[in-house]
Parts: sequence; C-alpha cells; structure tokens
Amino acid sequence: MADKKASLRRRRGFIKAAGALTAATGLGFPFISRAQDKPIRIGVPTILSGRVAQLGISSRNAIQMEIDKFNAAGGLGGRKIEIITRDSKGKPDEAANNTRHLINGEGCEIIIDAEASSGAFAVQEVIRELKVLCIHTNSETSSLSADPKIRVPTAFRVARQGIHDAIVSAAYAGNVAKAKGLKTWMSCSPDYAYGRDNTSLFLEYLKRFHPEVELVGETWPKLFQADYTENVTKILQTKPQALYSALWAGDLVSFIDQSAIYNLFSQTTLFAINMADYTTLTAVKNLPAGIHSATRYLKTFPANADNAAWGEAYKAKHGDYPTNWSWENALAVSFLTTAMKKTNSTDSTKLSEAIRGMKVKSPFGADGTVTMRAEDQTTIGYALGWGTTIPRDPWVPSVTPGDWKTVLEYEAEWKKKMGYA
Amino acid sequence: MDLQALLSCVSSASCVVTQTTGGLISGMLLFLVAAGLSLIFGTLKVVNFMHGSLYMLGAYFAYSIYAATGSYALAVVGAALGVGLFGLIFERLFMSRVYNTDVLMQLLVCYGFILILDDAVKIIWGAEFLSMGMPATFQRPPIMLAGGVLPVFYLFLIGITLAVALALGLLITKTRAGKIVRAAAVNPTMTSALGINTALVFGGVFALGGLLAGLSGALAAPVRSMVAGMGFSILIESFIVTVIGGMGSITGALVGALLIGLVRSFGSIGFPLFTEGIMFLFMTGILIVKPSGLFGKER
Amino acid sequence: MHVASIRRDLLIAGATLLVLIALPLLFPGKAFSDFVIRLSAFAIFATSLNLLVGYTGLVSFGHGLFYGLGAYSFALMMQKLGTSIPVAFALTIMMSAAVAAVVGAICIRLKEIYFSFLTLAFQMLLHSIIIAWTPVTGGDQGLTGGIPRPPFLGIRLDDPHHLYVFCCVVLVVSLFLMWHLVQSPFGYTMRMIRDNPRRAAFLGIQVWRVRLLAFIVSGMFGGVGGALISLFVSSAYPDFAYWTVSGEAVFMILLGGISVFFGPLVGAITLLLLNDLVTRVTEHYSLVLGIIILMFALGLRKGLLGFLVSAWSKRAAGATTASRAPAREH
Repeated sequence: MADKKASLRRRRGFIKAAGALTAATGLGFPFISRAQDKPIRIGVPTILSGRVAQLGISSRNAIQMEIDKFNAAGGLGGRKIEIITRDSKGKPDEAANNTRHLINGEGCEIIIDAEASSGAFAVQEVIRELKVLCIHTNSETSSLSADPKIRVPTAFRVARQGIHDAIVSAAYAGNVAKAKGLKTWMSCSPDYAYGRDNTSLFLEYLKRFHPEVELVGETWPKLFQADYTENVTKILQTKPQALYSALWAGDLVSFIDQSAIYNLFSQTTLFAINMADYTTLTAVKNLPAGIHSATRYLKTFPANADNAAWGEAYKAKHGDYPTNWSWENALAVSFLTTAMKKTNSTDSTKLSEAIRGMKVKSPFGADGTVTMRAEDQTTIGYALGWGTTIPRDPWVPSVTPGDWKTVLEYEAEWKKKMGYA
Repeated sequence: MDLQALLSCVSSASCVVTQTTGGLISGMLLFLVAAGLSLIFGTLKVVNFMHGSLYMLGAYFAYSIYAATGSYALAVVGAALGVGLFGLIFERLFMSRVYNTDVLMQLLVCYGFILILDDAVKIIWGAEFLSMGMPATFQRPPIMLAGGVLPVFYLFLIGITLAVALALGLLITKTRAGKIVRAAAVNPTMTSALGINTALVFGGVFALGGLLAGLSGALAAPVRSMVAGMGFSILIESFIVTVIGGMGSITGALVGALLIGLVRSFGSIGFPLFTEGIMFLFMTGILIVKPSGLFGKER
Repeated sequence: MHVASIRRDLLIAGATLLVLIALPLLFPGKAFSDFVIRLSAFAIFATSLNLLVGYTGLVSFGHGLFYGLGAYSFALMMQKLGTSIPVAFALTIMMSAAVAAVVGAICIRLKEIYFSFLTLAFQMLLHSIIIAWTPVTGGDQGLTGGIPRPPFLGIRLDDPHHLYVFCCVVLVVSLFLMWHLVQSPFGYTMRMIRDNPRRAAFLGIQVWRVRLLAFIVSGMFGGVGGALISLFVSSAYPDFAYWTVSGEAVFMILLGGISVFFGPLVGAITLLLLNDLVTRVTEHYSLVLGIIILMFALGLRKGLLGFLVSAWSKRAAGATTASRAPAREH
C-alpha cells in the first residue's frame, strides 16, 4: 500500500514535473527558436534629406547590397541581418538621438554610423555611454580615432582619414610641382572644420615634400555657397601657379563652372582632392581636362576585376555608380560580417576584440587587403591615389597610387606632434 | 584683416574692374530675388519666407526646359513664367488665407512649403546635385578691359538684370498697374472700395515676385549647381538685403543688393574671414538705428 | 492669488512628479526615459517662448538664441572649467538672464515684425560667433569629447535613471514656476499689454518694463532648456542656435495651442512623437511634416489642446450664450 501510495505520489510528482516541463518548454522553446532566427539588427544613423541626402542614400545602398549577399549566403548560422536606417537630416543632435533610439528602442546590436563628421562625433558620445559596437563610415576627421580622449573602445572607423589623404596628396602634388615648376600656391576651400583641417594639413606637408613652394593667398567660401565670384576674382588677382581646393560635390561643380568662364584654369593648375567621384565628374558639363584629383571612388582604381565588378553591380542595382561613401560602407560591412563569422557572435565586446587588428581581403585595398589598425581603431592600407582628369570615361585614365610606407612614417610623426601617441 | 591687400587692389585698375564686375553680378542676381521679396512685403505686408524656394524652382525648371529643348532663352523665359504662375497659385490657394492672422501663421505656411518643395524637388529631380552647363553661345574667352577680366556670360547677365530693374522701376512708378499696387500697399480697404479687385492685385504682385525669383534662379543656372535645399542661403541673403535696403522699397533692394555684392567682392580681399559676420552686424545695426531700413518708409 | 490655490498646485505638481518618476516601472525600456529627457528640454524651451508669443504678444523669431546660449554656456563650464553641475546650472541661468536683458532692451523698442527680425538677427549673430570662434566652441563641429558629469548631493547624472529623475524634476519645477508667473498679477499685466498696450500705458503700467521682464524670464527658461539638451547629447552644436530651432519651437506652440498654458508641452510631445514615427516609416519626412504644418496653419489654428479646451468650454457653457474665454486676436 505504502508502495502504491509512494508510487502514486511519484507519479503525481512526475506528472507535475512533466507538466511544468511542458509548460516551460512551451514557453521557453519559442524564445529559444526565436532567438535563433531573430534577425540581427544593425542600426544606421545617416542623412537622407537636405543638401547632402545623396551621402546617406549611397551609403545605405551599399550597405544593403552587401547585407543582401550575406543573408543570401545563409547569414550567421541562419540568422539574417536586418538594416534599420534613421534620417538625422544632417543635425548632430538628431544623429545622437537616433542612435540612442536605434539601440534602446529598436534593439539594434550594432551601429554603422553613416553620418557626416559632426554627426559622427555626436554618435561617438552615445557609443561611449551605451558601449555598443559602432563603425563610423563617412567621417574623415582624424581626431575621431587618433585623439585618445575622443576614442571609444567599441567604436571603429572604416573610411579614409584626413591625415592619410593629406600626406598622399602632398607627396603627389610636391612631385608635380617639382616637375612643372609650380612654386606659387593658393587655396580655396570651404570654411568649416573639414575644409580648414584638410587644407592646412595639405599645405603643411606640401612644404615638407617641396620646400620651395610658396603660399601666396587663400580664400574661404562658405559651405554650400551659391556664388563663388568673389573667390574666383580674388584668385585671378593673386595669379597663383597652382590652386588647392577641398571643395566637394555641388560646391566644387559650381566653383569649376564659375571659374571656367573667367578662364581661370588656363593660367592656374587646379588640385581638387574631391573631384574624382562619379557624381561630381559627371555633373560638370564642361569638365576642363587636366584637373588633378585624388580618387574618391573609381571602378578603375584599384585596377582589379573585383572592384570593377562591384562598381558595375552597384550601378546595375541603383542606377548610378558608387560614391566614395559607398565603398567605405561596403568595406565596413565586410569587417563586420567577417568578425561575426569568426566569433560566431553578435556580442559587441567579442566583435570589437575580433575587429581590432583584423585584416580583410577587399577590392578597395591598395594590395588587395585593408587592415584595422589595433592601436587607434582606424583602417589603413585602403587604396589612395591621384591622377588627372579627362572629360569622359574613364575620367582619370592613369592613377598614381599613394605609398603607404610614406603615409605611416609621416603619420607616426604627426601623432607625436599632436600629443596623440 | 588685410587692409594692405585691399589698398593695393583699389589702386590697380585691373583689380578694380574685376572685383567691381564680380560684385555687380553677385549683387544683381541677388537684387532680382530681393526685389520680389520686398515688393511682396510692401504690398501684402507678408514676409515670404519661401522666396528662396521660388528661386530653386526657377533653377530646376530651367534645367528641365534646357535639357528638353537645348535653348537657354526658352529655359529662362519658361522658368520665370512657370514660377510666376506657381507664385500666383500659391498666393490664391494658401497665402491669401493667412493675411489677417498672426505673422506666425504666415511664417508657418511658408515653412511648410519650404519643406514640401525641398522634398518634391528631391522626388522629381533626384537627391544628387545637378548642373545645367554653359550654353554654347557663351562658351568663349572672357573680354579683357584695362587688365581686368570680364566673362561674356556675366556681361550678358548684368545687361539683362539691369534691364529688368529698369522695367520694374517704370512699371511701379509710371503705369496704372503700378499706381494701383502702390495704393493697395498704403490702404487696401480704400483701394477695394474704389472698385479695384485687391485679390487680383495681391495675386499679381505675388506672381511678379515669383517671376523675378524664378528668373534669377534660371539665369544663374549655367554657373550654379542645384540641389534640394539650395534656396535657403539665397533666402537669408536676400532677407538681409531687404532689411538693410528697407522692406517694401525696390530702390532699397537694388542699393542693398549692390552693397552686399561689392562688400563681398572687395571684402574677400580685405577681410576674407569676416564677410558673413559683417552682413549680420550691418543688419543688426540698421534695425537698431532705423528699423525700416535705408530706403523704407516709417510705418 | 490664494495660498490655497498655491498649495493645490504644489500638490498637483508633486503628484505629477511622482507619476513621472514611477512611469519607467510601466515602460522599462530606455527608449522611454530617453524620450522624456529630450522632451523636458523641448517642452521648457517651447513653453518659455510662449510666455513671449502667447502671453505678451511679442513674436520672437530668435528664441533659439537662448537655447544655443544655454547649451554652450552649460557645456563649456562643465567641460573647460570643471564646474559642479548645480553651479553650472545657476551660472547658465544668470548668463541667459544677462544676455536677455541686453538683447531684450534693444529689441523691445521695435514694433511688430521688426521686433521679430531683430531677435532673428541676434540669434544668427550668435550662430556666426559659434561658427567662427573655433578654439572655444569647436566651430561647426560642435564640442567634442563629451561633457563630464561629476556627482553632486549623491546624484550621479552619468546614471541614466538619475538623469531621468533630474530632468523630470527640472521640467516640473520650471513649468510650475512659469504657470505661477502667468497666474500672478504680473501675468495679467503681460496679457493686458498683449491685448492692448495703449490701454495698459494709460493705466500707468510701464509697458517696456513688463516686456523686458517677460523677455528676461523667457530667456532664462530658454537657457534651462538648452542646458538639458546639452546634458542629453553630451555636447553642444551650432544647430542649437540656428533659426530652425526657433521655427520648431514656434511650430510646437501652434501644434499644441497658443492660448493654453500647456499647449507648448502638448505640442512638444506631439512633434517629437511625430518625428520618431515619420522617420521610421518614410525618408520623406520633410514632405509629411510640411503637409502637417499646413494643416495646422490653415485649419486647426487653435492647436490640439486649444481645440479640446474650447470644445470643452463650449459644452460646459451648454445652450446658454455664456461668453467663452475670448480667443486671442491680432
């Protein structure tokens, strides 16, 4: 009897336990299985309206294209990536707020920050507080990653960087100046942080590479200025042999159109660092031949089949050729997905650990690879080059690649001087 | 500050010629926009904060007409008329509903339209910036005068804008339509009591203002790239011009616009980093000393 | 003003504060507290502008001057001078008051639209200074490197929950103070000047003094709003002093209702929600917002809350022809 009772009790106990277990699994399994196919959410704060909407749109296009490939290939053990973009309209405080909302409200585990520079610094402060993995893809301002006071352990930059550009540009311009005897220089750059930093660094290194160069004047149009007549006539008065400009996109187009009717480029050689981007090259209706420019994005540089195929695939999908921001964002995705596969995780700390120092194969690398430098969490080894324009495809027929050994050497010295290293 | 550079410029003929024409061209294009703004304020007592958007529409209309026909003349005329028509419709359908309300409502209607038009332009013409390109007629080397450089296209623009300014002056002072406009500006109730259709006058003035802004945008299209949101810097500048010259005064708009054009042109040589600050300081000063502006009438 | 009514309002304010502090228990996500923190800045800012626009009849286009000033002076004191938070707050308010006294004294001499222009000009002047004075303000890039938040009185603002409670307290206290200002005899004088400045002058009121005082108080609270937003984004940007900020505040007032004290608060909530919602659904935010603005400017001019209040008072009045609170004219 006792046995019977005991067994009954045991049975009851078992039934209870089983019931509890079924209940638990009933509740629990959906959670587990949901966690398995729950998409990995990546938040992209960017600019989709206003004057630089194109920046955000071409960033988003590139990210989506790469993510689609990753998802089609099975994602991360079956988990797909989902992209959530938010428009800051170019306002830094909205960029900060959107980033917070993407993380706190939308549950994004990773941020790809496709904001312009001032927005990137705002996002950086959010990342400092919320400690989520973030990759900045559009800001070129060196201090974002170089200055240890601003750096954040989980934030990386996958983009070109001001100081690298300045060294490569100055080395190239110095050589051209020596060969062509261009001694008197002037600058015409937009009067805001990027324009000022970029130009002063370029001129500083130009003097290093070619000490006989003399700066004879400068003129600073406002960002998004409509009328450059006063700047053009000032350059005409000064008559420099060479002119450096960090103007970009529509501003550069207006400046070139307004300079052309004064015949400015018949007497002055223009070095426009932001010229060789397809949107800019194609927008100028009467592009003067022989403008020197850095390569922002060209499907012909670096000259490899993958890059050409990527450029064409982008055009086939979106109707235009990619921009400088497109390749930077595509590269960011490739860093991310490589790290995810390596760690089999979406955990910010683990991913950051993996990305720090990581080298990925990339069509945009100078030697087919791009490295995330561990010490300051920014990319090196991406393709940089300069050449002269012609007014039709391939636009910049021959490109002189920048030399990364020189870049790294001068950069190390610059960091010491700035107190960053 | 580089006063020495400024002095040496003023004492050289070539510099004076180049800088003066440069200042004139910036000033005259600004005048067309500012004149419309001023005219609308003088008659309707409304600050048309979306005037910059009308300039933008002018540029985009010209772009499309030029792309379709290849004729710059057609592009300019078509764009000006198109924007004029748009101004008329906007005034009749929207602006006329807020004349008797708080200035805040007028501000908001304009703000709403700035936002709508910027997005509409982005939807229709795309987010990337566009450039119309220089018509073949003007693709020729600049004229040299006393060592100064004068682009052919700018000489043409100065001619056209001066002619428009003159015609506008004559229209306002000499014609019956001008008298009605001036009368409606002083006392709309009285004017309508005299059997004049003030609604027509107001709509007409708005259309004229839009036409001028559109004309300016179209004329500048060959040398200024366009993008959604481009109207804003134009609005700020023409707003400064009208405040300095006097809201409601065409002469004031002309003087103010030329003043700003020349200050910018010579300022870029003398004090390159502070030209913008000077504008705002000047505007603040004028508002404090004579709120109605240099040529405005005290109300 | 009765002591009883003050006590009643204090009770209501205290209860509201308690509810606000308890709300995160209901909405545990950080997104909610982020929203309230941001709202506190905008609500105080918009309500302070309405002291001028709705209550004194001074249509300022340049109230962003104080938003930018508050944000920059608070952030700079915290970042460069290492001040403690309460001191920085107090100094920010004093600074806003001082600037408001000077700017106000110049601006209130002008009539109507010229007052609006001049306030706008001063705001753009501050914006130009922020852009040009790069060594101090960081120029167009804004302040980089974050704002330190040293603990004070056991309050640690680097803890999100502490920051949330802090912002709720500042919000409720500011609204309470402004509400009482509006209900005080001074508030009635403000409205009298709005409705008929000449009559007020005949009654022996020094109109310019009331206007100037209103301008100063409004500027002080505008500065508080700026300080809060700089705490939230841990920085300050030139955009805070741009005319669009003033435009947004004006729209918040209109959205909620210009003639109701809590109109700007309702407007701020609505606009922020709308912003979050619309940007989530479409990239054509401008188009949608523009259409909504037109709807309110042309149709619903009383604003959401104003519409409800007047509908309510109509119902309360019933069939009798009891006079409603006269709508603001002019």
